[in-house]
Amino acid sequence: MKLSKPQPRRDTEDYILPLVNIVFLLLIFFLLAGTFKAPDPLEIEPPQSRSEKQAETQGPLTVLLDAQGRLAIDGERLEGEALQQRLAERLAAEEGGVVRLKADAAVDAGRILEVMERLRSAGAQEITLLTALRTG
Amino acid sequence: MQIQDPRERRRIVSLTPLIDVVFILLFFFMLASTFVQWRSIDLGLTSPEGASASVEGAILVRVHSGGLDLNGRPVALEDLSAAAGRYLERRDGQPVVVQADEGVDLQRLVDVFDRLVAAGAEDLSLQGGTRP
Repeated sequence: MKLSKPQPRRDTEDYILPLVNIVFLLLIFFLLAGTFKAPDPLEIEPPQSRSEKQAETQGPLTVLLDAQGRLAIDGERLEGEALQQRLAERLAAEEGGVVRLKADAAVDAGRILEVMERLRSAGAQEITLLTALRTG
Repeated sequence: MQIQDPRERRRIVSLTPLIDVVFILLFFFMLASTFVQWRSIDLGLTSPEGASASVEGAILVRVHSGGLDLNGRPVALEDLSAAAGRYLERRDGQPVVVQADEGVDLQRLVDVFDRLVAAGAEDLSLQGGTRP
């Protein structure tokens, strides 16, 4: 009778090394492909567009507007007078009066216009609406 | 004489803690990094008082809850690019004013802006429409 030869017991290392390789690859991918920044004080789901124009992620004044219509600036939630004052201060220091508006896709047009009006009265001349690249 | 058994040889560095650390790093980078590609749309600000000057000769796109009007004529979103393109061809740098009614969400406005930019509009602005 022919019996198969018992397989020599392999070291656990032999199984784990490919796993480690893959994990290292993933790690390097996330390191290189991802970008890091401080989280925004408001949760915003940006509208999707096919606009070709790339936005700078760093740079001038960015005003956040979330789905509930709350506003934030410089990573700080502000309302009413305090906001208006901060906007005026920041716009006075800024050349060209460009404000970037990062608004949620679900925000009502009426609210956007309200915010634009406030920005205009604080001295803004142009607004750059931030959108996310549409995928698919 | 004592001879060391080669099977008892131990690795100097154990792999397990290394893998633990690498996993933790992996999770950190997975959760902390963002992959959103930001794009932008430039909008001019028109003042309500001085609006008539900038609006003169402009293409007017009205966005209301029921659909779209281009210079007063209803148009489908898919045809907006072509229709606006015909107006824009006639005169270069013609301003385009988008009038948005309340109740229209930003995503719809951005879809409209997208089509206008694709049609060659350079001077976009947003205005309030009629209130329901």
